[in-house]
Amino acid sequence: MTATTVVEPWTEAPLVRYVGQASARLVVVMTPAGQVLAQHGFPRAVDLMGVSALGAAIVASSGALAELVGERSFGALFHAGERHGIHLASCRTPRGPLVVLTVFGRETSIGLVEVFFEEFVAALQAAAPAAEARGPVLAGDFEAELGRSLATLFGR
Amino acid sequence: MSLVNFTTREITCKIVYYGPGRSGKTTNLQYIYGQVPEDRRGRMVSLATQTDRTLFFDFLPLDLGSISGFTTRFQLYTVPGQVYYNATRRLVLQGADGVVFVADSQARQLEENIESLQNLHQNILEQGVDVRTLPMVLQFNKQDLPRDLILSPQELDDALNFRGLPTFAADALRGTGVFETLKAISAEVLRRLSEGASGRPG
Repeated sequence: MTATTVVEPWTEAPLVRYVGQASARLVVVMTPAGQVLAQHGFPRAVDLMGVSALGAAIVASSGALAELVGERSFGALFHAGERHGIHLASCRTPRGPLVVLTVFGRETSIGLVEVFFEEFVAALQAAAPAAEARGPVLAGDFEAELGRSLATLFGR
Repeated sequence: MSLVNFTTREITCKIVYYGPGRSGKTTNLQYIYGQVPEDRRGRMVSLATQTDRTLFFDFLPLDLGSISGFTTRFQLYTVPGQVYYNATRRLVLQGADGVVFVADSQARQLEENIESLQNLHQNILEQGVDVRTLPMVLQFNKQDLPRDLILSPQELDDALNFRGLPTFAADALRGTGVFETLKAISAEVLRRLSEGASGRPG
């Protein structure tokens, strides 16, 4: 059983439905800066972060390219490989703009992914709460723990 | 902007290493990659030219472990330093929670350092962010070079550090100052979370 994990709970039901309908192997829902909001199929968070950084970079660079040639945007991107294809697209939600990367295999097709992606976006837009400010997150005395964590990382 | 998951108690922050070409931004990340145990880091992604100059960015995800009960992860990015890659620098800066400015200590590189720092401020302003509110530290790299070729940390501080930011002398190739720089920017970024800075997707 491959895990679906979400940072923001409102993304979970639309994501689970999309993964099932589109037969996607891996899906990442992220912000344009590459911060992951939800994912399906990645066993390690640090691996997922590399994929999301690259996905966000592709969307950002194609958006900048569109601007240079006088287009508002290029819409979705699709790359076909021998065993996997990827579909990469951005969408607007009340929570802010999001980027979705879908990796799929031969058990489905780009056509099916595109059809169910549109439903997925509609579901995200319906479920998304408005962005909100937040209060303090960490305790004021976090620095001693940070120092110990970094020292452990660097073997000191 | 830092991403905080209160349900699973996770924090993810984006830190960008900025500076002129060949100042040692990629070397910082390579040293960190080499020091951190495999189970606490992801694969280092480098989008570079055939001559190993950074074309788009380098990327290294780190798992810091638990801080104040939150699983804390950092995404470390570098930008391409060469002047003509400004469009990609702007893209990489989007959503940064903190910046490490890596200056080249060589005396003949002073102008490049100043131009790069001005370029950083310009790019931050264009994103609608007040430069004074963005956590930032300065690293004076290549302090291992012969004395007659480099400026001292005090001289570099006088030339570059008009905001009174934390500074660190470094030799990134051998790791001197790399850990201290990362620790300082991490503390600056997390301090904003402890002070209640707002965060949202984007």
